[in-house]
Amino acid sequence: MSTSTLVASSGRATGSAASRRLRAQDQIPAVLYGHGMTPLALTVERRDLRLALSGPAGVNTVLNLTVDGSAYNAVVKELQRHPVKRTVSHVDFLQVSMHEEITVHIPLRLEGEAKAVQTAGGLVDPAVDTIEVVTTPANMPAEFVVDISDMQPDTVIRLADLAMPTGVTATGDPEMPIVTVLFDTAAVAEIEAMDAAVDGEAAADGEAGASAGGEASGDSAE
Amino acid sequence: MLMPRKVAHRKHHRGRTFGNAKGGTHLAFGEYGIQALEPGWLTARQIEAARIAMTRAIKRGGKVWINVFPDKPVTKKPAETRMGSGKGNPELWVAVVKPGRVLFELSFPSAEVAHAALSKAIQKLPMRAKIITREEAI
Repeated sequence: MSTSTLVASSGRATGSAASRRLRAQDQIPAVLYGHGMTPLALTVERRDLRLALSGPAGVNTVLNLTVDGSAYNAVVKELQRHPVKRTVSHVDFLQVSMHEEITVHIPLRLEGEAKAVQTAGGLVDPAVDTIEVVTTPANMPAEFVVDISDMQPDTVIRLADLAMPTGVTATGDPEMPIVTVLFDTAAVAEIEAMDAAVDGEAAADGEAGASAGGEASGDSAE
Repeated sequence: MLMPRKVAHRKHHRGRTFGNAKGGTHLAFGEYGIQALEPGWLTARQIEAARIAMTRAIKRGGKVWINVFPDKPVTKKPAETRMGSGKGNPELWVAVVKPGRVLFELSFPSAEVAHAALSKAIQKLPMRAKIITREEAI
């Protein structure tokens, strides 16, 4: 579990125009809810949020959220981003109890180089980016690491193959593929056709050059 | 080239493009992608040209996803025709693109080659676009 502290202020004006004005001042509108509490409209400093979520667990960091003197344990439920600028435009914080189970998405990271797959012209493709698990905030892992060094072209890594830490349960189907090997046969056929066309052109150019050279030598002999 | 197999209406109005894309603004399949920064029409030829540029650059061991489909017919009147006498004939198919839309996605083991391939594809597009990756700053 990775934890971090974040200071937020309540009592912001709601609505799109007021939120736009806040974002212009590098403040992000946010909301805190969960555990039966009345939702609180908050603002957080963009820089503070960036620092708080830059730990090893990223957006799954358990935050110690301080709002006007009161402290809440919270996790990020949703991060909304601007479609073009990609900056964070709104954050949903979910209040959590450290010993009560919650459903979270933990990122999946591939480690190593699948040389056997690369030699065969395949591509190791993570079928999912995140794994949905049920766990308490205290047991929440930062990420799942899958070693793909020994992957063969016909290997499929399934959810059941992933070792879950104590207190963490995956909610998906155990047979669900999480890492597969892709072969884009259409693209390979197209590339082979292009290679053949390039070779053919090169051969034709070579013949034309040879015949032109022959004529030139004939001319010079005359 | 991409085009619909059958359509409800052969000729469409031209329409206006306002605002940013509401969906399709995040990477869904690949590790890298091309995101439009301006609105515009992307023709089936331009999509095909970008796809070929990317496929040639990565050769093998990668995968390309096309996230837009040219489903809007554009009509044109023949050259040197007087105005009137009805709408012209369907000539090409376009995809309507709004800023923020992810047009193509790519998976490839080498980030350097993937960026080079996507840069070549961007050169084939009629609007400004940028390369995006899965890792995003707060």
